[in-house]
Amino acid sequence: MGFPRHMTTRQPRVPLHLSLVRPIRRRWRRLGRRPACDATRHPPRPPYALSGNRNSGSPSSQCAGCCVMALQPSIEPFNRLVRLAARAFYDDVSMKGDNQPKTSRGDNRGMAVVVLDALTRYRIYIICVVSAVSLSYDLHGRSRLEFARFALEAEFAQDTRPWVREEDLAKALKLHSKQLRRILRFFEEEKLVTRDHRKENAKGTKQHNTAAAAASDGQPVTNKEGEEKVKMHTHSYCCLDYAQICDVVRYRIHRMKKKLKDELDSRNTIQHYICPSCNKRYSAFDALQLVSFTDEYFHCEICNGELVAESDKLASEEMGDGDDNARKRRREKLKDMQQRIEEQLKPLVAQLDRVKNLPAPEFGSLQTWERANIGAFPNGDLGAADSSRNSQGQYGTPMPYMGETKVEVEMLGDGVKEEGAESGKNGSELKVLPPWMIKDGMNLTKEQRGETSKASQFGENSEVKDDKKQDSKDDQSIQEEYIKAYYEALKKKHDEASNNKVKTEVDIPVSDSQSERQVGKKYKREDDDEGIEWEEQQHTGNSTETYKLADLNAEAQESGDDEDDNEWEDG
Amino acid sequence: MFFHIVLERNMQLHPRHFGPHLRDKLVSKLIKDVEGTCSGRHGFVVAITGVEDVGKGLIREGTGFVTFPVKYQCVVFRPFKGEILEAVVTMVNKMGFFAEAGPVQIFVSNHLIPDDMEFQSGDVPNYTTSDGSVKIQKESEVRLKIIGTRVDATEIFCIGTIKDDFLGVISDPGAAV
Repeated sequence: MGFPRHMTTRQPRVPLHLSLVRPIRRRWRRLGRRPACDATRHPPRPPYALSGNRNSGSPSSQCAGCCVMALQPSIEPFNRLVRLAARAFYDDVSMKGDNQPKTSRGDNRGMAVVVLDALTRYRIYIICVVSAVSLSYDLHGRSRLEFARFALEAEFAQDTRPWVREEDLAKALKLHSKQLRRILRFFEEEKLVTRDHRKENAKGTKQHNTAAAAASDGQPVTNKEGEEKVKMHTHSYCCLDYAQICDVVRYRIHRMKKKLKDELDSRNTIQHYICPSCNKRYSAFDALQLVSFTDEYFHCEICNGELVAESDKLASEEMGDGDDNARKRRREKLKDMQQRIEEQLKPLVAQLDRVKNLPAPEFGSLQTWERANIGAFPNGDLGAADSSRNSQGQYGTPMPYMGETKVEVEMLGDGVKEEGAESGKNGSELKVLPPWMIKDGMNLTKEQRGETSKASQFGENSEVKDDKKQDSKDDQSIQEEYIKAYYEALKKKHDEASNNKVKTEVDIPVSDSQSERQVGKKYKREDDDEGIEWEEQQHTGNSTETYKLADLNAEAQESGDDEDDNEWEDG
Repeated sequence: MFFHIVLERNMQLHPRHFGPHLRDKLVSKLIKDVEGTCSGRHGFVVAITGVEDVGKGLIREGTGFVTFPVKYQCVVFRPFKGEILEAVVTMVNKMGFFAEAGPVQIFVSNHLIPDDMEFQSGDVPNYTTSDGSVKIQKESEVRLKIIGTRVDATEIFCIGTIKDDFLGVISDPGAAV
């Protein structure tokens, strides 16, 4: 389960004091952390930071401003099973073609594992464009609104895409498609993967892409159309067959254990005999012909030499001397092997048990899957088609085969105003709220009491932008500096408040309109709620002054927990 | 395992049998021909229990022989892998022992004999436990499990094991005497 791994600033416009960077970064991150979404700790929800789903009653709607990725619970154990099985059984599968000279390619063992892994979490790249409005000062102390855009490349490890076009997979894995096909064919034989081939033209491809997009995949819909308009191509799709995988793995383990056990008891193994002189081999089925009436041994039909029982393959290396010794040694070896199997397969077996009572996810054939998804598609946001940009649209779309998988990245990109900043701070006391979430609310309040905003905005902007540049560890000094700077800025603003009021108000309408326009575009559904919630927002805005200080402190203290942040980054 | 099935066979009958006892002759010849034979598909034909139907005879040109298609019921015996059988030991040597279950020959190799039984050569070669309580020798009756069969056109040969629960000697000729 990934959350945003990296954020990149596209247009850092406002020069900033570096020391202002950290706190916001912290907030940013906390955004992504699920534990932070505790509803009780959340501040009053910022009105504009809500996704279209806010009324849906899903848990995610309660934590506005948090990235919530609600994976369908039942599929993850299966994926884990697949990953475990891959490592257990397909670790050293080499995919070399028979005709391929051994030295021509590097060792590609482990490729199989990579491919299986990739199938369990077909990655979806989502680029959320988050725009934040920043204020910068010109020489006269006038504030100017600027939009900073952040491309948030979120890499969601999602199990959402059962049917994957093999070309796409190859591309994603940077494998040659032939190589990939060989591996997939192998897995098909192993019954782990189902594949489907069909001839299709551009339309077919597009259909798949739409379906994929509807299933919340990030592949651009248009990528293939140009080339394929004329020709029909055969495309292959593959899909993990979870139900069968469970059976296959269970059966495989059963066979392994049984074979060892039988071997250990030398049960059900048919003895083979070999003639030491002419190397002719006999099985016990030939015993009747081999019996000699002169002595107790079997004799070779050809050279009449005495036959020797051939020991089992597993222990054949150490064979050679006396029967009993060899037998004993073989038993030991087998026992050891049995033990190791028990031990090493323990996680896999445990996972199998866990999965046993869960219904395996069924995707159906390629056609049914596509039909289902395309059916779902029109209901979803229009944005779903443009999957690379609008994450909300995508995730609003229910996926028929999985129930509802929602990934909601809820952020507000537009005008960060002073109120917003303040309320953001309020939020940070209680829990961390990214300042840009609160922007719209800020606008209103700013009109009422515009002064305070500058400092906070300044702080925010700088933070936001420098986020990316500065990867430095958070040291206390930076935090303290930030706080100091913040206070100073606040004071300054208060002083200037009376003087600048007129000017700022002139500026504000522009910013408002901009921000609102954006809000309207991106988050249509939220519009309804605005009116109501603004009032709440105002309250918080008014009250901010007093507990701002407290907030700051809290922030500074909280900033120490970098470790937590790492957690979700890894995830 | 035994099965009671219906088989069909074309019987050729010499012209000299044509007469009032033609049918009896046909049946007795059928029994003589078929009983004790082995087919790979059905196993050993143990006994013919009845003739269902004798079709119209066809006189072969030149020889005068008549071919009758005969349907008959019979009991067949076919050993299967995993089946438990009781058999009589026919021969014991260092490599294991041979046993017979009716028409079927079974070989039990020495590594399919329980580990505590040792081969004793001598006048009467046998496998004996260390305490001498159990002895496998010629004429012993053993219960064994078939772990492999080889079915030829005319013969079925099996590999058996007595290394499992409840397998082994069921009556000892030495003890009975």
